[in-house]
Amino acid sequence: MTPFSNLAAAGKRCLPCLPVALLITLLLAACVAQPTVPTRSEPSQQTQPPALPPTTAPAPATTLPPLQPAPPPSHPLPSAESFPKTLAAAGAGPAVLALAKRAQTFRSADRHQDALGQYQRALRIEPKNAFVWQAIAETHLALHNVEQAESAARKSNSLARGNPWLELGNWRVIAAALGVYGNSPAAQAARTRADEISTVLAASGANVSGGAAAALPASSSAVP
Amino acid sequence: MIRIKSPLLRWLLIGLAISFSVGLLGLSLWLVRLDQDVRARYAGVRWVLPAQVYASPLELYPGARITVTELRRELERLGYRASDELTGPGTFALAGSELRIDTRAFAFWDGVQPEMRLAIKSDASGLSAIRAMGSDAAIDLLRLDPMLIGSIYPSHSGEDRVLVKLSEVPPLLPATLIRVEDRAFADHFGISPKGILRAAVSNLFSGRGRKQGGSTLTQQLIKNLFLSNEQSYGRKINEALMAILLERHVSKDDILEAYLNEVWLGQDGSRAIHGFGLASQFYFNKPLNELRPAEIALLVGIAKGPTVYNPRKSPERVKNRRDLVLQLMEDGGLIRDDEREAEALMPLGVLNSVTGGVERYPAFIDLVRRQIKGLYREEDLGSEGLRIFTTLDPRAQERLEARIIADLPDLEKNRQLKPGSLQAAGVVTSVEGGEVLAMVGDRNVRYPGFNRALDSRRPIGSLAKPFVYLAALADPSRYNLYSSIADEPIDLKMPNGSHWAPKNYDHKLHGNVPLHVALAKSYNLPTVRIGLDIGVDRVHDLIEAAGLQGPPRLPSMFLGAIDASPLDVAQIYSTLAASGYLTPLLAIREVMTKEGQPLSRYSFQLKQTLPEGPVYLTTWAMQKVIEFGTGRWAVSVLPAGQKFAGKTGTTDDARDSWFAGFGSDRVAVVWVGRDDNKPVGLDGAAGALRIWGRLMRDLDARGIDLTPPAGVEEAQIDPVSGLLADAGCAAQVTVPFLSGALPKDYAPCANAGQSSPLEWLKDIFR
Repeated sequence: MTPFSNLAAAGKRCLPCLPVALLITLLLAACVAQPTVPTRSEPSQQTQPPALPPTTAPAPATTLPPLQPAPPPSHPLPSAESFPKTLAAAGAGPAVLALAKRAQTFRSADRHQDALGQYQRALRIEPKNAFVWQAIAETHLALHNVEQAESAARKSNSLARGNPWLELGNWRVIAAALGVYGNSPAAQAARTRADEISTVLAASGANVSGGAAAALPASSSAVP
Repeated sequence: MIRIKSPLLRWLLIGLAISFSVGLLGLSLWLVRLDQDVRARYAGVRWVLPAQVYASPLELYPGARITVTELRRELERLGYRASDELTGPGTFALAGSELRIDTRAFAFWDGVQPEMRLAIKSDASGLSAIRAMGSDAAIDLLRLDPMLIGSIYPSHSGEDRVLVKLSEVPPLLPATLIRVEDRAFADHFGISPKGILRAAVSNLFSGRGRKQGGSTLTQQLIKNLFLSNEQSYGRKINEALMAILLERHVSKDDILEAYLNEVWLGQDGSRAIHGFGLASQFYFNKPLNELRPAEIALLVGIAKGPTVYNPRKSPERVKNRRDLVLQLMEDGGLIRDDEREAEALMPLGVLNSVTGGVERYPAFIDLVRRQIKGLYREEDLGSEGLRIFTTLDPRAQERLEARIIADLPDLEKNRQLKPGSLQAAGVVTSVEGGEVLAMVGDRNVRYPGFNRALDSRRPIGSLAKPFVYLAALADPSRYNLYSSIADEPIDLKMPNGSHWAPKNYDHKLHGNVPLHVALAKSYNLPTVRIGLDIGVDRVHDLIEAAGLQGPPRLPSMFLGAIDASPLDVAQIYSTLAASGYLTPLLAIREVMTKEGQPLSRYSFQLKQTLPEGPVYLTTWAMQKVIEFGTGRWAVSVLPAGQKFAGKTGTTDDARDSWFAGFGSDRVAVVWVGRDDNKPVGLDGAAGALRIWGRLMRDLDARGIDLTPPAGVEEAQIDPVSGLLADAGCAAQVTVPFLSGALPKDYAPCANAGQSSPLEWLKDIFR
């Protein structure tokens, strides 16, 4: 989901809010000043696809095989800070937090298999928790299970619902996982995608160096 | 010196002396050999330790969606005893609104969880608080010990056992055993002349009939371990000599421990129950150290002969025997007089049904056997005592069983079918992680025979249709959920010259129908039309990508001419339910050695094999199956306000009745039909759907998350034309489309935008 689509979705559900939403979007766009990315109008009403830079045709994360250029630079975020950066901030229950803590202890001790087991227990309790999926991706990466790392990171992206912090971390895992086979176009695209999100986050004033976004594979984490 | 005059006598005596010496030499040599033999054989005794199979442990945490009643049920299933107060591990007590539990310690793969004394509170939504008793410390998470659901024992001997150590058994057990079987055990040297004499005298006076044995525990052990059951003096002498030799090499404690693990204590079909560890589970469904004196007395009592003293068949006889043992316990000072009286009043307490055996969840154990086969050698599985931790959720399993047991007779009654003529199978899996939670392979859920959930490969009928529509929806330039599809006759000339002219199930034509309605109402002709347009290969590839190999590349595949088992169907529907991510279904989580060392953990493998956006659209259409399509009956039983996706499946002449579907956390597949493949007169909706709907309700399954994923946008659509709607349209529906593939035109009802504020705003910024 593009960061924009939250706004668009809000607009669809509340037609009178739409002009307001559009104005806010425009203002934000102006602030960040990204002239190459045109502001999109209400998606459900447009009669033709938005004009996009020719080299970056939209490639949804879901297409198979997932080895094409990543989607274009993100639009400015309505408010990146409104998205939770950590598992705790995302409202995970105490059981999942306790498991994540145990997993973190295992990870610190280089016991990644054991950490993975804890995350999988957490997943049985909160199966759609994108932070847990991200942690699984990072742990697989530490274990050099690159295919599983990539898949879990994509799964986390599917469940991230536009959370740029999660997406940033996931693209970094994907880039690292694909990078194992050398600097393929797919790895490069994933890295570019991560850099773009990072740039947009920085431009919107968010502190990119903290939270999940800072996470370079395996070392960092979205869990406390 | 005595002179022997007769030469004959002299030669006789010399001969005697020589033969005595030779005999003595021979005996000595034989004893030496026997000694070596005993030592070698005893050292080589490797207990046949079948792999033990456990269900998944119940995780308890604040927020867990389980009621106190369900929790009590779970505790009873695990053999916990209700009492007024906690009296040790394996007990629980209700104190006002609080449920108190003294949990058993258990060695999990990630560490030992010690015994804990808990106080648990709950509210309407589930568990609300867990704290350690005697402190205010809140507990975030713990596991109950997992249920032992079976063992994988070698088929040739059928020997099953759970190994125990002498140091870990309650001291009353060996003490009672010695008191009853071999009073002089501590003092004799392997055989007990006094015992033999007593037995001989007793047998002399009792005449024929009940004979007393003079065998010591050591002799009994020798017999059980090395000798046949043959009753001969030769064998008796051998046994006695070997017992004496064994005592020279092995301590009394080792002999006792070996006896505790070797003795045969019961039979469960082809499975032989060996040792007190397993017998405790087999008869009382709890570990040995939780047995009360009456229960120990019972087990020691039946060691005399489990066929004669079978507590399930001859409770009276066994009670007399148990009370006799209790009396011997008192005589030996092992229990007090008042204790004996109280214990003798206790009922036998033996479970009616066998809980620990493969007979309990035969279909699931069958799956575990097959999945583990490639991972370990057969002989290791039967002998190394591996501990296999599985994904089985006993609560889900119980609900699936209950539905099939209750609903099949109803279906037969409603359709005036012969009672017992229908068969059924069912599978429940988790959406994320691909765990098989429950499986039934026969309407007689304990019957360990033909496993329909795995081995009954039947045509899946309309269960294949979602993949035809998925193939179409993945091509947004040609299809969306409101594309108009002609429901018109099709006559296809096949390569072999024959004609294929499929019909709708209701033998009617419905004109032009929106694509999602064609799926919801399971119309055959529009499905074939779409399939032919998209191509057999595309649909074939999607079904393979979802996890079912080898569907035939024929147009009849669109209507489900694909043979698959219920587990196969669960696999491909799981991939849909998990937004296009394939996870091969697993039944095993971890394997540990008998010492509790982790051996392997089986993480699920994940791969995105179907495109997420089109899967979302297909799932949307599958929700319509339940909203207004062939599955709408389920609305009457599913929780209001929650959306589930599914599909009915019916094969020619209604031979097979299928339903497969999912919410956000559970996938369930149900098949109903006949083993002889005769028509059952039930379509998917009239048969399997009834079981599926109630099952999902009973499982407390959660509805689907309706937030569109990336790459999907929603739009307001005029349901008549399938085009964009605006304020001018009286009826509007919200419909998802792949991004960039929204309808371009406005519906006739729409004001077409000219004067709308949106257009005005757009114009300004253009």
